[in-house]
Amino acid sequence: MDEVATKIVDILKKHMKEPRDDIGLNTALTDLKIESLDLAMIVFDIEDSFGIEIPYNANETGDAGDFKTVGSVVEKVRGLSAAKA
Amino acid sequence: MTKSKSAKINSNGTPKRRVVVTGMGAVTPIGLTVPDFWASIKAGKCGVSELGGFPIDDLKILIAAQIKELDHKARLSHFKRDKFVTMADRYSWFAAMAADEAVKMSGLEVPFVDPYRTACIIGSGAGGLVTTEIAYRDLFILKKKATHPLTLLRIIGSSGAAHVGIEFGVKGPTFATCSACSTATHAIGLAKDYIANGVVDVAIAGASESVINYGTMRAWQALHVLSPEGCFPFSKKRNGTVLGEGAGILLLEEYEHAKARGATILAELTGYGMTSDSSDMVKPSVEGPREAMRLALEDAGLAPNDIGYLNAHGTATMDNDRNETKAIKELFGDYAYKLPVSSTKSMHGHPLGAGGGIEAVASIMALREGFLPPTIGLNDPDPECDLDYVPNVGRAKKLAHVMSNSFAFGGLNAVLVFSEADA
Repeated sequence: MDEVATKIVDILKKHMKEPRDDIGLNTALTDLKIESLDLAMIVFDIEDSFGIEIPYNANETGDAGDFKTVGSVVEKVRGLSAAKA
Repeated sequence: MTKSKSAKINSNGTPKRRVVVTGMGAVTPIGLTVPDFWASIKAGKCGVSELGGFPIDDLKILIAAQIKELDHKARLSHFKRDKFVTMADRYSWFAAMAADEAVKMSGLEVPFVDPYRTACIIGSGAGGLVTTEIAYRDLFILKKKATHPLTLLRIIGSSGAAHVGIEFGVKGPTFATCSACSTATHAIGLAKDYIANGVVDVAIAGASESVINYGTMRAWQALHVLSPEGCFPFSKKRNGTVLGEGAGILLLEEYEHAKARGATILAELTGYGMTSDSSDMVKPSVEGPREAMRLALEDAGLAPNDIGYLNAHGTATMDNDRNETKAIKELFGDYAYKLPVSSTKSMHGHPLGAGGGIEAVASIMALREGFLPPTIGLNDPDPECDLDYVPNVGRAKKLAHVMSNSFAFGGLNAVLVFSEADA
């Protein structure tokens, strides 16, 4: 995992009650027992760390789109960081 | 003892059910549990200290009764259902700690077996003001892009009640009361009515407060009612109140419900009275407090001289101390001079909305142990305050009924009467 992915995994672990060491890019967020309020805090932390703004609406549930796996979050952040640069 | 029959019947003719206390919780600057708090009260310990924990900047008032040594994460780590409580506002931690102690003391099984027959009424005078200040500093001074995602949930004044309700599995009436310094007393009174009228059988009731920060100190400073020296109720040297913080919560239960499960009944909540002065935001009347005390006595079916101890609102402001003294004399007549009246705020400071809850705990402990809490710092009383305020040192007295007063800004008065379990 590169620097962006490592940083994101660290943020995810910070918000987990029982942090795991086996989180990879293919790990589904649902496997990490991340709920809506956790997600709001994770997004906040990621925005703060990367200086970006992630378009995200807690009302749009179901197919969470960009936030299915750890890898999809990493890709989204990479994209937003590149757009900013 | 004069028991009036009218007080024991609901407006629809059904008999009122008896309400008892089977658990208590206290979080105060002089003790984070009921036993520690009571030991400090008995010892006449003062919880006022130098203000700290945030930038003092240009503040003129530099004292408060703060809770300084608290590991809330360790204290609340066993919470199972409410995983966000340790990330909540400080006032919610206090509420959770006090409720946890009260529920454990009651011996009730959690989550509650009959959740819809259980209430959780935990008020707060101001909600998460510490969080509000941090969020506004972030936005307006530090120009941060966003507030912390939990900011809103931390601030709302019902979050304390919600956190406690989630943890203990309460599915009946759950909300906060808000009546400044009468908040906890109104919460406890409402819970009494819910149980007496058959709405619920069990209730967690009280209040929590944590507002000591820069902005709050400035706001109180601007009202010119804080003392720069200390909280000395009824004393000649008294020059204002001292802000405190904490929580006081009772576990109330219908009498037969408690008896059926063999619970230890700590006291019976026999009386509740509430009035509003409807006159002034800061200047209390004599009539309003007097009538609230009278209604509480009537609800309890007691005569004035049945009361053996009165826990005063006793804020150490001139208006409160003199008006409360007058109101007591008007209601109790000559017996007022024989009635021990003390202000435990001299020790735990003024915890605003939580005051009535903490003082209810002090009153019940006084009743159970036959010990009158002192008013400390009272060597030379204000000549207009001429009752027995139990100056400086507490003393033993067998008690059957005690009263606790809460009189808030806006003229919002609420009074409770607790009676011995077997009375």
